Amino acid sequence: MNKLFDLEMVFTQIPDLLEYLPVTLELAVGSMIVSLILGLILALIRIRRIPVLRQLSSFYISILRGTPVLVQLYVTYFGIPLLLKAINYRYGTSYNVNAVPAILYAFVALAVNESAYNAETIRAALQSVPQGQVEAATALGMTYFQTLRRVILPEAIEVALPSLGNSFIGLIKGTSLAFTCAVVEMMAAGKIIAGRTYRYFEVYVSLAIIYWVITITLEQLIRIIEKKIAIPEDVPEIREQGGAAL
Amino acid sequence: MIEIKNLSKRFNNNVVLDGIDLTIHEGDVLAIIGPSGTGKSTLLRCINRLEHPESGTLSMEGLEIDLAHSDKKALVELRKRTSMVFQTFNLFSKKTALENVMEGLLVVKKMNKKQARETAEQELRNVGLWDWRNHYPRHMSGGQQQRVAIARALAMEPELLLLDEPTSALDPELVGEVLDTIRQAADKGYTMVLVSHEMNFVRKVANRVIFLDGGKILEDGTPREVFNHPKSERVRDFINRIERMSAPEYSI
Repeated sequence: MNKLFDLEMVFTQIPDLLEYLPVTLELAVGSMIVSLILGLILALIRIRRIPVLRQLSSFYISILRGTPVLVQLYVTYFGIPLLLKAINYRYGTSYNVNAVPAILYAFVALAVNESAYNAETIRAALQSVPQGQVEAATALGMTYFQTLRRVILPEAIEVALPSLGNSFIGLIKGTSLAFTCAVVEMMAAGKIIAGRTYRYFEVYVSLAIIYWVITITLEQLIRIIEKKIAIPEDVPEIREQGGAAL
Repeated sequence: MIEIKNLSKRFNNNVVLDGIDLTIHEGDVLAIIGPSGTGKSTLLRCINRLEHPESGTLSMEGLEIDLAHSDKKALVELRKRTSMVFQTFNLFSKKTALENVMEGLLVVKKMNKKQARETAEQELRNVGLWDWRNHYPRHMSGGQQQRVAIARALAMEPELLLLDEPTSALDPELVGEVLDTIRQAADKGYTMVLVSHEMNFVRKVANRVIFLDGGKILEDGTPREVFNHPKSERVRDFINRIERMSAPEYSI
């Protein structure tokens, strides 16, 4: 009789799965970057209370936070081809639906979904910067965008980093849903391997180990970055004590 | 010469400034005094448009600005030519003392790094904090932070320096060093408008005092005129009350 649980296999198939790690990371890093940019724009729209856009952004955030990612993945997977067809029909163009790489669907869905969450994190972080510093920058003659870039963001990043790190970890695990859009990343690769060997349990254990190790590495990385951007604890030494009189 | 005309500001139904006209001459050290809640700080904050008044114009050499409806360009110009020191210092907390002073020079005055650094170092030397140039605000005392804030304001070479209760958030022990720094700036001939509760300091440093109450200027004169011979009853009351507080409890 076959072994009930093949422990050795859990580890021997990890390299095969890791071949698809770049796809997973590409998907995660790419959609994180886009979601950060989108999130910042959404946050600014809400903070600056830009009419019309503000209502639209609330609507956008509400929809994306109110529906499951899996549903959003399917909606983009089936929606984008429909949209292309409609455009082709309307404008007589001939975009080829099949030429759209599968990863693009997952990428769009994950980035858009993530942006809704990041928008709120970024908004809270931007608003946590004391108003007095913004006033001081304004009084110096800096414009809002100069103030944003040089005063608000450096401080807000420190506040937002733990939450953004969390959401990035969530996103990495979220990429495992991309197989529903026919993207072959680690999860899909695992399913393919298991389909061949019928060792489903072993594959999922291998995947669990890989995702866990990635997460641990990321946690450490985030901790290092946090330390790096914090104001240093130790006070610089003053050599000529009292050397400068009033 | 800086001329402010018909400056009005209200918060909902509360009229804080009621058609203020004020002319500030070059080299003036003008102190604004008055009971709390009468818009001393608001007046100051309207001058560089941190507060948006309902009406009012400001003119200085080569710049006419409608404070109620002004475009962004004019506002930046106005703020370039004025500087502000806040009650709560408002240093940029992620920047060192030196970077705080350099910020406006780099971003607003578009100086190159070397030039900005030299200017900033000189300003820090002037306020006695050159040794502290690499410290972050949170590693400095309130008095030191305020002196950095003054250096940051003076580095911009403002035609008008606005000081909004610069010593009110400080430990009594630290007030002296900040007042000394302000006094030095006054001696250098900077034109200043100062909101302060340090009446003794006002007497010594200001050459002109205005008393603000109910949105109007009730008194305008030299410290001697305003403190010793106030014209209106309201001002006399206020001065008396303050004098009584600072008078010794016993005298033999």
